[in-house]
Amino acid sequence: MIKLQNICKSYFLGDDQVKAVCGINLEIDDGEYVGILGSSGSGKSTLMYMIGLLEQPSEGKILLDGQDVSKLSDEELSHIRNKNVGFIFQQFNLINKFTVLENILMPTKYAKYKLDFDPNERADELLKRFGIWERRNFFPNKISGGQQQRVAIARALMMKPKIILADEPTGNLDSKTGDEILKLLEELNKELKVTIVLVTHEHDVAKRTKKQIYIKDGEIVKKYL
Amino acid sequence: MINNGYTELLRSAFADFRRSKIRTLLTSLGIMIGVMSVVLLIALGLGLKNYITQQFESLGANLLFVRPGPSVSDSGGIQGSFSGAIGGIKFDEKDVATLKRIGKIDYVVPVYFKGVSISYEGKKKFGYLIGTNEDVFKILNLKVLKGVLFTKADAQAGVKSVVLGRKIAEDLFSQAEIAIGKTIRAENQRFKVMGVVENKGDPQMDSGVFMPYKVTFESMNPDKTFFTIYLGVHSKDDLEAVKIAAKNALLKRYNKDDFSIVESSEILSTINTIFGVINSVLVAIGSISLLVGGIGIMNIMYATVTERTKEVGIRRAIGATESDVLRQFLAESVLLSLIGGLLGLLLSSLIVLGVRIFFPASINLFSVVITLVISSAIGIFFGVFPARRAAKLPPIEAIRYE
Repeated sequence: MIKLQNICKSYFLGDDQVKAVCGINLEIDDGEYVGILGSSGSGKSTLMYMIGLLEQPSEGKILLDGQDVSKLSDEELSHIRNKNVGFIFQQFNLINKFTVLENILMPTKYAKYKLDFDPNERADELLKRFGIWERRNFFPNKISGGQQQRVAIARALMMKPKIILADEPTGNLDSKTGDEILKLLEELNKELKVTIVLVTHEHDVAKRTKKQIYIKDGEIVKKYL
Repeated sequence: MINNGYTELLRSAFADFRRSKIRTLLTSLGIMIGVMSVVLLIALGLGLKNYITQQFESLGANLLFVRPGPSVSDSGGIQGSFSGAIGGIKFDEKDVATLKRIGKIDYVVPVYFKGVSISYEGKKKFGYLIGTNEDVFKILNLKVLKGVLFTKADAQAGVKSVVLGRKIAEDLFSQAEIAIGKTIRAENQRFKVMGVVENKGDPQMDSGVFMPYKVTFESMNPDKTFFTIYLGVHSKDDLEAVKIAAKNALLKRYNKDDFSIVESSEILSTINTIFGVINSVLVAIGSISLLVGGIGIMNIMYATVTERTKEVGIRRAIGATESDVLRQFLAESVLLSLIGGLLGLLLSSLIVLGVRIFFPASINLFSVVITLVISSAIGIFFGVFPARRAAKLPPIEAIRYE
């Protein structure tokens, strides 16, 4: 489904060019559950954001279902993100001025096509499934971290994406809550066949995925299949 | 945003306004004041125009002014009342007699006019000596407040009795009725007050000391001349004919450019032109505050963009395009500006309503439309730069922004 070919991403810090990741070759197929493991600053998040089309590589190609996405406009990339990609973050990244329900519905506001589902029905379904139905009219900062992350997962799933990208999803949660979230992701992968890419620096978390990639100093050092 | 469109933009904008009510209010305040000053200036300008139009209409529509100098439009003067054009010829009794021979004229009223100091028992006030005949009260629609007006016989006899405008009467005597029978002094002469006429709204008439013109012939007007002559035409339909006849009659004595005969409506249109210019200048000045308000909006929007960098990142991640973000912020600045504009309109309407008690100020559709257009335009113009900054934020950096 997603193929990364010789990907490099570099930034300019003043006049110095800093390579975040380089020489990445990676293929993620439908229904996979991939963990990207690496220490902080290893470039794992950058890699994840490139997979999620939030960032374009400086070199190399990203092929999405065979299509080179480097040629796509911001508009087209945003549509693909909206339809096919769901993000989950360490900081939950909910918008605090909107209620739980409004947050979950937000991706539907950016849909440029007619949805094949009723947004409110789907939101209700997700709220119930993740046990946050009672919290639907709460503002995110009034609910627990675990609940916030569930809201974030519900939001990520709203548009029935092909892939979920989770950046340290348990990083801000205690181990018990973190475990629950990981279980939930496992379930989603198993039941809904959603492709999941999970980025983490914790071995224990990475172990829960089906396939791990170790990244160090911007390069893939090991692929466990 | 097919399935939500503008309602979603509005909803989002109002969600933000609710969170920062004071800031929203203060930002809108700038535009509010700007719009208020512009609308009020237009309203007052309009009121002034209405007021003057009313004054002219109360003079009567069938009035012709015979004035020295070329016509109003050439000289650009607005001296429709007593002052007359500066320089040029002066009319005399012979001209009055000439004009009286033209048919279809009800009144021929010569006017000698001089601004002087008028005193009563040591109290001095500035007023206007108006040497004229008994028909002046009819032609100018001056209503008796107290006492009586001088008659044709008085005028012909040249009695030293005067009729005061209400304002000068009250200035000198505190109450108009006290004035009757008292003796005032002006130009080293004594005059007995026989009557007081109601204010007309014209400062020269309201502070006028009306007297038979013969009285002025003694020392203050030894040339026995008049600045202007009013013709009260019998009917509106005769205006043009009388104008031509009067012109021809006077041309026997004077050159074409020595005098002019104008209708009150002509003077009115000149006044309107002048007020149009004054009003534009005032509105331009008022617009400066709109500009300042706009800069205020821009300032706040930049702050808002910085504050909501993370939100922009989140929205971008879940599929907002650059133009979605641009629209979102633009909607906010336009809304801020429109709220300010509407508040300004509302407030100035209230003020105008209050002012109307004294003065016929009015808000027309034009001001309402222009207010809405201008405040939207300001919102767009000053909002587009901050909105562009938000739209161009790199999503990753935005999402990591704390």
